[in-house]
Amino acid sequence: MIGVELRTLFRRPRTWATIAVLNALPVLVAVLVQLTDLAPRPGEGPPFLSAVLTNGALFPLAALAIVLPLFLPIAVAVVAGDAVAGEAQAGTLRYLLVRPAGRTRLLVAKLVALMAFVLVTVVVVAAVGYVVGMTLFDAQPVGGGTSVSGTSLSQQELTGRSLMAIGYVTVSMLGVAAFGLFFSTLTDSPLAAALGALAVLVTSSLLFTLDAASPIAPYLPTRYWLAFVDLFRDPVLWRDVVRGLALQGVYVGVLLAAAWANFTTKDVTS
Amino acid sequence: MAARGRGAPARWAAVGLLVAVLVALPSVVAALPADDADVPAAELRAAVLASEDVGFSGYAVSAGGLALPVSDRLTAVADLFSDRTLMRVWWRGPEEHRVDVVSGAGEIGAHRNPGGTWTWDFEAGTATRGTPASLALPTPPDLLPAALGRRLLSEAADDELSRAGARRVAGRDALGLRVVPADAASSVGRVDVWVDPASGLPLQVEVFAEDADLPALDTRFLGLELAVPPADVVTFTPPPEATMLTAPDTEELIAQAEERAPDVRLPRELAGLPRRSFQGVPDAVGVYGRGVTLLAAAPVPGRLAGGLREALTASPDAVRDELGTRVAAGPLGLMLVEPAGGPAYVLTGTVTLDALADAARRLPGAAS
Repeated sequence: MIGVELRTLFRRPRTWATIAVLNALPVLVAVLVQLTDLAPRPGEGPPFLSAVLTNGALFPLAALAIVLPLFLPIAVAVVAGDAVAGEAQAGTLRYLLVRPAGRTRLLVAKLVALMAFVLVTVVVVAAVGYVVGMTLFDAQPVGGGTSVSGTSLSQQELTGRSLMAIGYVTVSMLGVAAFGLFFSTLTDSPLAAALGALAVLVTSSLLFTLDAASPIAPYLPTRYWLAFVDLFRDPVLWRDVVRGLALQGVYVGVLLAAAWANFTTKDVTS
Repeated sequence: MAARGRGAPARWAAVGLLVAVLVALPSVVAALPADDADVPAAELRAAVLASEDVGFSGYAVSAGGLALPVSDRLTAVADLFSDRTLMRVWWRGPEEHRVDVVSGAGEIGAHRNPGGTWTWDFEAGTATRGTPASLALPTPPDLLPAALGRRLLSEAADDELSRAGARRVAGRDALGLRVVPADAASSVGRVDVWVDPASGLPLQVEVFAEDADLPALDTRFLGLELAVPPADVVTFTPPPEATMLTAPDTEELIAQAEERAPDVRLPRELAGLPRRSFQGVPDAVGVYGRGVTLLAAAPVPGRLAGGLREALTASPDAVRDELGTRVAAGPLGLMLVEPAGGPAYVLTGTVTLDALADAARRLPGAAS
């Protein structure tokens, strides 16, 4: 069933159209920065963007940082919201459930397909970012680069940490995917499910900026999203990375349980 | 479909239970009682003062609520006391340590060794070399609980100290040590220092203004490891692409300022606090008081006084009268005294506004 879901997802032109659109913004930013030679002033703009003029190998990270706050979660929410509600709206859900596999397995298959989508999207953004970065900007003459802490990182260390950052951003998006999937079991409208997931993210991002909300800040789903920067400190600052992973794990677990409780007992009429 | 619907309450109950456990978990962990120990206050203070050489590495946060009315020349200092500062620290000793101020997209790391300090700023791409100075503006390392706790306890008299229970800080049981300053002029209500009894390291320091329930400054460790960190974490070699800078020589700046400073004789006592001398403090600056009650007085050139007056009067709480302009930011008082017939003075310290006014009257040439 997982294979079927994966094939369905990646055969859809709109999946690839979403990924393509997602890459457009970092490419546009790279072209503009290159043409004007105006990187954001240090401390402003997305992380790592101020450093790409001197080291193009950092652009995959800047590209991730550009799409992470808004575009990537929108894409994930749209695809996740479509997972069950899309089938219901198209009238195909009951045919899917006729198969003996059961509803729990269908949910798990949908979640795995979503995880694959998130991973592919993040990897494509990073890969396009790498190609664009190496083409438009100077690469460091000697392999490797400088960590955020000012120590030098070998090419191997930089690659390893970049891979970890890609993995971390992927996991960070799983919470969004879980919200989308849960809402998708509540409604027959994919749009409503996607907007529901986005509403959660907007609320979370807003509360994070509010001092009065600081007691609940550690539990907000977007709280640790930018902690991938910590992987480029030396020594690596694991604290927020570990918390971010655990928090996403909790959200995915709880929302999947809620989706299961709702979906396995839901009357499916379409 | 009715058969399917029957399992719904049980499934939702299971999900509800899971959520309830997860939501309650942080509060349960936070409510775990800390072990108190019967250590007298004076003994605890001695342990804190002896903890300078204890090696550790950790992660600390300082949060200040002090909106300092300063001009844009001192924004770094103002931010330090009004913002949340996250710090990573590796401490091998008072002359060999590293403190990184961690921000969302960058970091500023201060690497100290006996020869001086390297300050690395990732976002600016600069590495700044500085030499140790006896007098310098406050920097993030000064706000580490360990450093601040030692400083605030260093001059506390035994009768100002008391014990204040125990609490969990950074996963450790910390014993509370309270300083209530005896000086009538003091604007500090109390200082609570929470100490790790085994190492003597202060784990949290809270400074309360008089009659305040919330601390004006709260700095604490979020994580702490009690082991001497390796030397290679502390040392720093500037990366080849960094812009190299040299920090301004504060000793020379102070000497220059002293030459330009108006020639005045400051009184031996201000606001009931006796004058004292510090190494590196020029004669033109009078420092009064002791422990957490300190007052500094200095004559300022007219040009500086104008900027300061503007900054002070911009504050809605500023008090203006014939003595000058004064304002309080939490326990910190700041006053610009502008006598008609003499140089202007700036008075600042952890004293009340009334004490500032009293001090202003006693300055040479001031209205009395």
